[in-house]
Amino acid sequence: MATSVAEAAARALPNFRTGAKQIFLPNHVITFIRPKPKQPPNLATFVVPLTFNKLDLRDYLFHAYNVEVLAVRSFINERAPVRDGDRGKWYRPRSQKMMIVELEKAFVWPEPPAEDAREDFDYNTFRRNLQTREARDAEFTRRRKGEIALRTEAKVPQQRKTLRKQAAAILNSEEGWSNRSGVKEDDGAWKEVEEEMKVPRGKQ
Amino acid sequence: MAPSGVIRPSMGAVIESCRAAQLGGAPLRLATRAPTAARPSHLTSQRAAAISTTASLLKRHKYEGARKTRDNNKHRGESAVRRTGPRWRSSVDSEPLPKPVPRDEVPPVETDPNHGLWDFFFDRKTVAQPPAADAAHGRAWMVEELRHKSWDDLHRLWWVCVKERNRIATATWERNKSKLGYGDVEATDRDRQVRLTMRGIKHTLTERFNAWEDARKLAEADPEINLSGAGNGTIYTPAEYLEEETFDETEALAAEESEEKTATEAEPAAASKATATATLDPAELPASSKSEGAAPRL
Repeated sequence: MATSVAEAAARALPNFRTGAKQIFLPNHVITFIRPKPKQPPNLATFVVPLTFNKLDLRDYLFHAYNVEVLAVRSFINERAPVRDGDRGKWYRPRSQKMMIVELEKAFVWPEPPAEDAREDFDYNTFRRNLQTREARDAEFTRRRKGEIALRTEAKVPQQRKTLRKQAAAILNSEEGWSNRSGVKEDDGAWKEVEEEMKVPRGKQ
Repeated sequence: MAPSGVIRPSMGAVIESCRAAQLGGAPLRLATRAPTAARPSHLTSQRAAAISTTASLLKRHKYEGARKTRDNNKHRGESAVRRTGPRWRSSVDSEPLPKPVPRDEVPPVETDPNHGLWDFFFDRKTVAQPPAADAAHGRAWMVEELRHKSWDDLHRLWWVCVKERNRIATATWERNKSKLGYGDVEATDRDRQVRLTMRGIKHTLTERFNAWEDARKLAEADPEINLSGAGNGTIYTPAEYLEEETFDETEALAAEESEEKTATEAEPAAASKATATATLDPAELPASSKSEGAAPRL
């Protein structure tokens, strides 16, 4: 501990007066989140506990991460009401507090990896499942609202397209269509279907 | 048709002065016509003023009958509807205004490689590490292992855990927001191990605190220990019987035998020895006697 105290003393003091209350075992989780697309690089956004204030975050970043901060902005995001299950009670989840700090030294986030560079995260399966889930949710919402899509608006499934193609092929053929078309001629006698199958003798 | 007098006064004055010059170098007479009694005298003076080489440019009201008194309103006659513009030329700086640089042409900002905020990331390129790397962790520290650690070690380990939890939360947020893929389960498992370690640290410290409190209560009831700080600052003053424990066993046996033999003679001698030790100051005890450090620890 003696070395860390010496390190702290040797470190240059910040341009603000830090708090005097010592907290030895803080139990907060601070999430550093990606900035909005046009946010300048000297701003950094954090999700902080609801009990945090601006001075707390400023001192926390300075002591734990050696990051100096010029100003802090704070806001609380109210959550939308959600339901406990399908028919449960409506309740509003706990709000979420965010703070945007002005950094002394700018920090640029790395670009997120391209879609083909996410195999380690099993991105292909993830995306397929996500699309399926979103389509199902959209369908569920549509049905609940009572909006039945017109046939012209509905997406034609692949099997209907194939069926239409086969029907057109039959109708355009020279013979045309009859009840016997496509059916092999049969003499009516019983036939052993599994005649060619070989059954191992040991298992009989 | 309008008569010549209706022409603007300045124009009329010029024409008339030219006419006077043609008439044979007569001295300039501004008023060729004699002023009638019906005309007001101020019109004459207005004509005289029209020849002046310094035209009153700033005078807006030049029509007949315009007031002479100065108007206090600087913006009299300015109208946005009639698009008159301001009455005076505005002062303009010759410095050209800077033009904003398009966002694409702004040079990229270089991040300091030693920036403290990098500590929020597992990976400087992807921010979140893949689930396989997330799952490659060991177990949490057990309480039994933590009991042997000093407070400084435990404090450092606590801060390692705090920063690790921040890293896990940041990675989880980024994975979900940027839709990187799977990995929530692995991150939750990792976080659980970190929290177990933190719980172990608190458990160890609580145990230590309880032991300390028990010892303090024992010490308060112990007559050998002085917690008040009074009396030369000595906390531990060993009692007499502790000093008598240092004797040799064979000597004790011999003494016992001799005691049995001369029981009656020994009694006054032992009593005198006890009084001698009672008056002895503990600070002046010889070095061979039991020191404070060698005393049994609570």
